[in-house]
This record gives sequence, C-alpha cells and structure tokens, in this order.
Amino acid sequence: MDDESWLQSFLTYLEFTWEDLFALAIEHVIIVAVAIGIATVVGVGLGVATYRTQRPREIVLAVTGTFLTIPSLALFPLFIPIFGLGATSVLVGLVMYALLPIVRNTIVGLREVDPAIVESAQGMGMGRTRRLLRIELPLAWPVILTGMRVSTVVLVGIAAIGAYVNGPGLGNLIFTGISQFGSARALNLVLAGTFGVIVLAVLFDLVYSLVFRLTTPRGIR
Amino acid sequence: MTDAPAAAADSTVKIRLEDLVKHFPGQSEPAVDSLSLDIYEGEIVILVGPSGCGKTTTMKLINRLIEPTSGRIFLDGTDVTHSNPDQLRRQIGYVIQQIGLFPHQTIADNIATVPRLLGWDKKRIAARVDELLETVGMDPIAYRRRYPKELSGGQRQRVGVARAMSADPDVMLMDEPFGAIDPITRDRLQNEFLRLQEQIKKTIIFVTHDIDEAIKMGDRIAILSEQSHVAQYDTPERILVNPADDFVADFIGRGASLKRIGLSRVRDIELQEWPTVPDSASHEELRRALESTDKSAVLVLDSQRRPQRWVNLDHLRRTPGNRALIEIGLPADAVVQPHATLSDTLNEMLTARYSLAIVVDAAHTYQGIVDIDTINDAVRGMRENERGRLRAANEQGEGVASRP
Repeated sequence: MDDESWLQSFLTYLEFTWEDLFALAIEHVIIVAVAIGIATVVGVGLGVATYRTQRPREIVLAVTGTFLTIPSLALFPLFIPIFGLGATSVLVGLVMYALLPIVRNTIVGLREVDPAIVESAQGMGMGRTRRLLRIELPLAWPVILTGMRVSTVVLVGIAAIGAYVNGPGLGNLIFTGISQFGSARALNLVLAGTFGVIVLAVLFDLVYSLVFRLTTPRGIR
Repeated sequence: MTDAPAAAADSTVKIRLEDLVKHFPGQSEPAVDSLSLDIYEGEIVILVGPSGCGKTTTMKLINRLIEPTSGRIFLDGTDVTHSNPDQLRRQIGYVIQQIGLFPHQTIADNIATVPRLLGWDKKRIAARVDELLETVGMDPIAYRRRYPKELSGGQRQRVGVARAMSADPDVMLMDEPFGAIDPITRDRLQNEFLRLQEQIKKTIIFVTHDIDEAIKMGDRIAILSEQSHVAQYDTPERILVNPADDFVADFIGRGASLKRIGLSRVRDIELQEWPTVPDSASHEELRRALESTDKSAVLVLDSQRRPQRWVNLDHLRRTPGNRALIEIGLPADAVVQPHATLSDTLNEMLTARYSLAIVVDAAHTYQGIVDIDTINDAVRGMRENERGRLRAANEQGEGVASRP
C-alpha cells in the first residue's frame, strides 16, 4: 500500500461514515463535558473547603493526585461491579481524573488573592460568604478555568479508553479497529478515532479561549 | 493609662477604648496591653510609633478585624465590643496602605461596595459614586468605568478614600494610607485630604510610623511605645514643645523647631509692611518711594493689586525713563497664600532673589511680606506661648495633662 492509496482509502471511508463519526464525536463531547461539570462542582467545593487549612488541603491534594496515577485501563473496570458496563462507570472514572487540576488550581487561585484585597473587603463589612463569592472566587476564576482546561484535554484522551468498558465516544472506533487488526478497515477506524480525539481537543481549547474572554473582567485580564 | 488632654474636655468623645488587651495565642507578651484612649469627634487622631509597637493592631481592634482579648470599645457611647462586626464595619470607613481595591471591579463598583451592602437603590448609589469621585478630584465620566490597574498610584489612593467614605461614615480608620506613594504625590494627597477634612469633619484614626506625617496630619497624636502603651497623647504643638519623656523626645527627634514651622501657617503670623507702587506710576514716583524707605526695592502692583515686579534704584538707573514699570526690575516670584505653612514659605524664600515671600489672597491680591525675621519671631512666639500656657496650667493646679 503506497501513501496515496492509504490516504485515498481513508478519505473514502470518511465520506461514507462521517455521520457515524459525528454521532460518536458528540457522545464523546457530552461525556467529557458532563465529567468536567461534575468535577468542577466537586473540585471547586473541595478547594474552597480546604484552601485555608493546611492538613485537609494536603490530604485532598494527595488523594486526588493518586487518582491521576491509576491507569485508566485498570480504573474503568473497577466500577463495573457497582455501575455495570457503559457510560456511568466511564463518567465516574473521568470525574476522578479531572479532579486534581481543578482542585489544585482552585486552591492556588484562592491563596494567590492579595490578602490586602480580602482584608479591605472584610474591613468594609463583607461577610465570609459574600467575600468568597464576590471577591475571592472571581479573582481566582482565571486560575480555576485554567485547571478546567487542563482537565479537559486530559479527559478527551482518556475518555477514548472508556470504550473498553462499553463507554460512548470515539474510543469505539479505535477498539473496533484494534479488534479487526489486519483488515483493510482497521487502519481507517483507528485513524478516524485518533484524529477525532485530536480535533475535539483543539475545539475544546478554542471554546476555553472564548469562555476565558467572556468570563474574565477586563480589570484582571 | 493617659488622662484626656485638658483642652479637649468640652469635645464629644466619639470613640472610647477602655483597657483594651490583645494577646495573640502563642505569644508570651500581649501585643496591646491595657490601652485606654478617648478619641474626640471631628478630629484626626494619629497613632504613631516605631514598628512593632502595636499601632496597626490597635487600629484593627477598633473595627474588630482583630477581636480584643479583653477590654471594651465604645462608639458614640454604645458598647460595640460584642455587636455584629459586619454591621459595625459598614459604619466605619477603612483605608489601608495597599488600598486593596478590587481589581476585577470598575472604579464605580469599588466605590459602591458599602452602599450595596447597605441595600441602597441603584440611582442613589450612582449619584453617590459620581459625587465622591468629584470630591476626590476625579472626573466621574472619565473614571467610573475604568479598572484599578488603569489608574496611577495616587489615583488609586483617592479611589480608596472615596470608597471608604461611600456610605458617609462618621469614623474612618486609615492605616498608612499615603505610605506607598512617592513623596511628591504624597505631599499633595496629604494637603488635599486636610482640605477635604475641613469640609467633612470626620473622626479619623490614622496610623503612621512617620512622625513628620503625624505632625502634619494630626489634630492630636498618640505616641505609642511597645505593646501600644501611650507615651504621650496631645496636640502636635504641645508634643513638640514639651515631650513627655525621653522616648517621645527621641521619637520626634532633632529638629523639633523645624517641624514646628511646618505647623504654623502664614495666616497665623503678622505680615511685614512693604513699600508698593501701582504699575501706572512714573519712574520719578518710584524713586521717591524708594527714598522714603529703608528697603532696597519696591514692589510694583498691577491695577488689581497683584504683585508684578521688584524694582530697585539700579534698575531705574539702567533703563530709559519711558519704559513701563512692568517691563523693568525682577519678576515678583516667591508668592504664597495664607494657608501655606511657614516651612513652605521658608522654602520659597530660600529660592527667591530677595529672600522674601510675597503673601497674596486667593484672588492674588497683595497682602504683605514675610521675611526671615517674621518666621523667627513666629517660632519664638510659639515657644513662649506654650511655656506660658504650661506655667499657667501648673499654677492652677491642673497639672500637665499629658504627663503620666
């Protein structure tokens, strides 16, 4: 197979299957987006709860750090006894992977807020909750958003492994391709899945740039 | 610790600190040890002392950013030691050295902080923001939508003061508010603030480590030694003339007389008479004026009596008789207004050609002249007045109020 026929074959494959590819990509986006959403709520919550106390902060960072070291091929199957095969097990795993960058950046972002700013807010009679919501979190937001961005890039890749436990998304192409290794279609399937993941990662990054612009006030950009 | 100075006996006590103690956990000595202080309404009270004396801690005890270990705080006669701290802080303006503007909010939003906490309606807040920006000398249209990072240090400081005044608190706490600003801007902001205070008459507690700033800004100065012990609590004049002990004397340092002339203003001293002629006068008239005085030059005034030129006999000799007076002699520089301090005036004199300062009113109309003897007399007079006052007070058996 020379180069041209390889490319030709792949393009022909895309031409006939792009609708399926698109459907899988949408699934992929949805599971990553939902996982990031849950991880942000949990992660920012953990960060807010622990950023001012040393012990709990260290524990949270150590635990979420450990999550990230577990190989995904091992982690997803762990949930099959509880959640069965499919999206739920993948989702739980993805949330665990997404936690560390978000928790860590929330803690860093909140701790980097100038103490003079917090003190002046307190000195003007802003209570604890209001200070957090109006001053500290908005100022930490660009850092938190960066954590979400890192998590997202990580998840787009890891989510592909989810197909191994019958999860949704572009991973299905890759695993099917691997199982049909040697056939003419196999390479096309793996290529389509891999390129799909890369394109999604780039698109997510573009969306983050836009969100950053829209949600960061001019004063701290 | 310290009795109230006698002169303030008729003023209303705005804030009373009673035996305040702050003992931070893990420290053997208290940071503030049994501090009592009466702060009078409408005065600027300066807490000044060496670093680590507990002056900032003392200030933060007042709005309870630091909760006292024991003792009581009264505001307007009400014990606020255990009231809701957030409610208390909304009634007390607060400015810190780093200013602490919220960088993610516009200038208008920053200033609106406390009014929003108090639930004012939008229209009232917007009007108040514009009013305050004008008060601190910033154009509301140009500045309200800007962000703190788009302002200079001096402008941020002004916004900080505007924000502290937003809900029109009676009391303001200021912790080295001019500390992080270059000396020239600081001097201007201090003067602006003093002018503003003349209108708003707030009760202000002002922390600084700079005795010169204390003398300039304070109606009354509390000199604090370690653990916030009050070494002396009195007016700047009396502290300079009569330091209570060696600690205070050391702290104000040498040059107390020089500092004193920073306190008196031109309007408080008697001005010298000086020969003047209108700019329409002829050379002959000017010569006669010079002959009838022992001064070497005559001041030429225009039709609105504004100083124009210094002219002496030499100038007359060197110029043809038809030149207008306004075109000969030397320019009348070194002009000061009545609110200028004697030290500013002295500075002007030292750079002027005749070692004289010309005093004019707000409309630039000539009022009189200050020379070095005038300043000398004023300083001597201040010292004698103060000694006389102290003697009289001793004779009446009152004792010197601020002596421990």
